[in-house]
Amino acid sequence: MHRLSGIALALFLPVHFWALGQALQGEATLESFLRWSEQPLVKASEWAIVLLLAAHLTGGVRILMIEFLPWRDWQKTLAALAAAAALAIGLLFVLSSTAHAQGWPQKPVKFIVPFPPGGATDISARLLGQKLTEIWGQTVLIENRGGAGGSVGAAEAAKAAPDGYTLFFPSGSVVTANQYIYANLNYDPEKDFVPVTNVVSGPQVLTVPANSPYKSVKDLIESGRANPGKLYFGHAGIGSQTHLAAENFVFQAKLDATAVPYKGEGPGLAALVGGETHFFVGNVAASIGHIKGGRLRALGVTSKAEIPQLPGVPPIASVVPGFENTGWFGIVAPRGTPKDVIQKVYLDTRKALQDAVMKEKFFAQGLAPVGNSPEEMGRAMKEESELWKNVVKARNIHVK
Amino acid sequence: MSAKTQTYLWLIQRLSAAVLALCVLVHLATLIYAVRGGLSAAEILGRTRGNVAWFAFYSIFVFAVTLHVPIGLRAVLSEWLGWRGAGRDLALLGFGVLLAWGGMRAVMAVFL
Repeated sequence: MHRLSGIALALFLPVHFWALGQALQGEATLESFLRWSEQPLVKASEWAIVLLLAAHLTGGVRILMIEFLPWRDWQKTLAALAAAAALAIGLLFVLSSTAHAQGWPQKPVKFIVPFPPGGATDISARLLGQKLTEIWGQTVLIENRGGAGGSVGAAEAAKAAPDGYTLFFPSGSVVTANQYIYANLNYDPEKDFVPVTNVVSGPQVLTVPANSPYKSVKDLIESGRANPGKLYFGHAGIGSQTHLAAENFVFQAKLDATAVPYKGEGPGLAALVGGETHFFVGNVAASIGHIKGGRLRALGVTSKAEIPQLPGVPPIASVVPGFENTGWFGIVAPRGTPKDVIQKVYLDTRKALQDAVMKEKFFAQGLAPVGNSPEEMGRAMKEESELWKNVVKARNIHVK
Repeated sequence: MSAKTQTYLWLIQRLSAAVLALCVLVHLATLIYAVRGGLSAAEILGRTRGNVAWFAFYSIFVFAVTLHVPIGLRAVLSEWLGWRGAGRDLALLGFGVLLAWGGMRAVMAVFL
């Protein structure tokens, strides 16, 4: 038994070393390691090692004791079996821990979107949800819980059971800026959530109603400067990405304009179409339909250069030097969600984003897939959080 | 092969077995701590990369494997297949080198 298990382990070891070394070579080392460790063959080989090691150790310990210890035979056998059992139990314990995500999801998964349907957050969540439904074989449900710049949905998601079946799909500012804006927030972005992955990001577009007298960003700025406080801009709620993007524009263009909050980007854009406000700095995903339908006129994009989805629309930076603003939409999970489930959601989202059809769909919405790791997302969120902390303070954006 | 060499091989085989038993226990305890402690694969790699102590530990692990496995196979090849002589020892030396190369390649990937 000792020799047979030894031969098997000897044959297995070079393969194991080679596969592990191979998986960790090159640029995408972490991704390849994670993908490698998810392979059914690797999982099966882990079980084989457990049995082989247990068998080999039993024989090995017994041999060592026979040769070095003056124990009786039955004592040596018993001790060897105990050592092997301890090893096997320990390894099985480890394997059962890592096996948690293999059975997930067993039922539909819910994405809480903290804005009403029609906005960029909702569009992104639905596009990804469709693909993840295919991958998981379980429906991804989208629950829109709009209000208070995403805070209503965030508070609900923060209280959800951390079992992976309820995930939060916010726009960036809900988890990086709201804590500085709202005095009585019902959630703590850092304590209540853990990052999973940034799904997509993209620039925003400054739009005015199709019948607006403003034909360019320059016209709008001149009007705003000439008539302080008389220009109104809508946004998806105080602290939302569209709010911060517009505030950033107003601040850098040195305008005096008045913010009008709506319950989401969809309602805010509909109000702009209806002439309730003068301009809106919205996500391309939510605005492009209105622009192509002739209901809104695009004056400028918040990226440094023109974007292919909106040819002929100049960057705002051509009028306001240095101006740039990017929005993003991602997944965070209630704190306490099992790590392996978080890894699975991240890896499967990454897989979904690599799909050519998905890329095309997001491209049409002016969004680029990101799919970074939970650690990378966490670092980016911290950096962005610092940025918004300063902007919110400078612009004195507060809700009591 | 002289009796003295045989004795050395026997001793090395037992010593490397004791080292391996210890290494397996440490490896197992580390895995339990990492997995039960909620560390993801990314976080584990984040801690092992650049850590000289882990590099030293896993290098010793690989070194013990490199000694233990060929000596064990040597006995099996001799007693079960009747293969003796320089050819066998050269083949086992090659196998040991393969194990050392593969093992250290994996260790370097986890460390660097």
